[in-house]
Amino acid sequence: MEMAEEVYEKKILDKISDKVIDGIAWLMDKVRKGWKRRNKARIDEWKLMAYAFNRSPPGLIGFTLILIFLALAVIGPYIAPFSYDLPLTAFDSTAKLAPPGKVVTIKPGQLAEFLHVKPGNYTLLLGSDDYGRDLYSRILYGARVSLVVAILIMIVGPWIGIAIGLVAGYYGGKVDEALMRFTDIFLAFPGLILAIAFSAVFPDRIREFLAANPAVRDFLLALFALKPQHAGAMASLISVVVALWLVWWPGYARLTRGLVLSARENVYVEAARALGVPTRWILLRHIFPNILGPILVYLTLDFGGVILTEAGLSFLGLGAVPPIADWGRIINDGSAYFPNAWWLIFYPGLMILLTVLGFNLIGDTLRDVLDPKTRRSIEFKIKKKASGGK
Amino acid sequence: MPQPLVKVVDLKKYFPVKGVFRVKGWVRAVDGVSFEIMKGQTLGLVGESGCGKTTVGKLVLRLLEPTSGEVYYNGENIYKLKGSKLKEFRRKAQMVFQDPYSSLNPRMTVFDIIYEPVKVYKLKVSDPEKFIVDLLYKVGLNESHLYRYPHEFSGGQRQRIAIARILALNPEFIVLDEPTSALDVSVQAQILNLLKDLQAKYNLTYLFISHDLGVVRYMSDWIAVMYLGQIVEFGPAEEVFEKPLHPYTKALFSAIPIPDPELTRKREKLKAPGEPPSPINPPPGCRFHPRCPFRMDKCSREEPEMIMVEDKHWVKCHLYTKK
Repeated sequence: MEMAEEVYEKKILDKISDKVIDGIAWLMDKVRKGWKRRNKARIDEWKLMAYAFNRSPPGLIGFTLILIFLALAVIGPYIAPFSYDLPLTAFDSTAKLAPPGKVVTIKPGQLAEFLHVKPGNYTLLLGSDDYGRDLYSRILYGARVSLVVAILIMIVGPWIGIAIGLVAGYYGGKVDEALMRFTDIFLAFPGLILAIAFSAVFPDRIREFLAANPAVRDFLLALFALKPQHAGAMASLISVVVALWLVWWPGYARLTRGLVLSARENVYVEAARALGVPTRWILLRHIFPNILGPILVYLTLDFGGVILTEAGLSFLGLGAVPPIADWGRIINDGSAYFPNAWWLIFYPGLMILLTVLGFNLIGDTLRDVLDPKTRRSIEFKIKKKASGGK
Repeated sequence: MPQPLVKVVDLKKYFPVKGVFRVKGWVRAVDGVSFEIMKGQTLGLVGESGCGKTTVGKLVLRLLEPTSGEVYYNGENIYKLKGSKLKEFRRKAQMVFQDPYSSLNPRMTVFDIIYEPVKVYKLKVSDPEKFIVDLLYKVGLNESHLYRYPHEFSGGQRQRIAIARILALNPEFIVLDEPTSALDVSVQAQILNLLKDLQAKYNLTYLFISHDLGVVRYMSDWIAVMYLGQIVEFGPAEEVFEKPLHPYTKALFSAIPIPDPELTRKREKLKAPGEPPSPINPPPGCRFHPRCPFRMDKCSREEPEMIMVEDKHWVKCHLYTKK
């Protein structure tokens, strides 16, 4: 029964992941005494999962891409040389549609103090747009917008679907019929079209809501790293989030229902019922943890999808409105100057591509790592290599 | 006469066979079953697969609602219980499942598995860890198994965990649904002995469902033989094994392998050719008549009554009703 740790040939990465997992275990143990002792088997399982993940080059590439994306989203607004809405043409008339690598000079006294910019020579790494705004800075701010939008959607939308799927799958019969036909209604319309319809309805109400709740407004402004005067523009961004909540769940409802249908036939579910365990517990403790793997994979793969959809909606003119620096919005604004100012489309497009690719690669690898059958085969390969190497 | 702990009266369970628009027919999984179990005793329910044994087990625990019939537990109809009384019944009447490889949630540790019923019934336990270690000792495990997952255990150990989970509730009545048929023979004996010990210690009442006649003989005080949803013979275990009355029982028992070729050759063999008919459309009259070597004209016309042939030994066969 012992987990044969020494059998595995550990690479540097494995040692790092071991350290990270041990660190998490140590933290949990601090919060709840005895956690480490009670969850030893689980910690070993996590370590094995990490070893399997470390053996997957696509997974590691995806992980790196996402790590970079997260880092940019978190610290981007702090390291950006300019604000997302600063027209450099105010200092240098040649800054309009400047190609990557152009140097802009900001002389003292040129409104610089007023606009909080230090005088000096700046190299525009990725060029600038038609207002003379620095594309590099805007992309950094855009990473924050994309991440926050994606997170806001993911912490609500899918869970509506998961809850509906759990209930429909477990109770079956008329409940199932009613909930699934309701889901079908939503599935009948393409999600993007429905989202466009919804997002056209919401902005005014959201603007009113934000005006009435300054605390919420300030919190969201800080999350999106936006200036206070752009709260109105943020309202339409939020309306896209709400619209996507409403269209993002049907896929999850279907997926979850299917998983529940097979999971509820397990004898341990029947055994729990025989013990008199309440339905709510059966759903949350017996069924949900056992179907979490596929749902987690779908969530990860979908993260890229959300970013893409949000960028798509912004590209169509919904969601982020100027001057918010959203990747989809930057492409939309830049499309008028294509192909002369190619950088306005190429760089934000590349960011979207890499981010979505990263999430897809991670999701694909997680699928293999979380499925015990495929993971065993990966573990088996590692073991064989280790014993053959001796 | 002491009152039986469990009394089953004319229990029926029909499952619908659904067509595209309407119900095409009914599977008569259980069709008029009656029996009693005294406190502290074991009733062995035997029969081939598909005869409705497991359905009876689930009906007796109200895991299924019957088509008709009653089950009395301590004199109370369990299908009429509500609220706290139903909860109390659910606590006292428990089940051990056939396959220990699938009856334990793979995502829960042994501690969580055994502690769950305690939480469900809000039992007062001052030291959960000690409480569960005590239970583990009772079923032959120890504290080193406390925080492990089911996949780290063998089949026998898992069945012990399943038993410990039930013992946490201090039950009176346990339905054992083929608890050893998924286990090795040597492990089977350990589990059976454990069940017997626990029965003696806590005065437990068992409904032991099995197709393994040797195991049933070892475990049971009483035997009920099921065929196609009905009980065809009922009596004290030794009596039924020594002097089986119903032709089906005889055929069943003559199929028990004896580890002695001499005896095997010598013994009287009774065959019931063919397969059991479909419970959707059972044969008229006696259900066993198409396969019965002793069938008479009457058998295909009239359904025999359950009659007491000897003291407490009942049989459902025209051979004994003619007189």
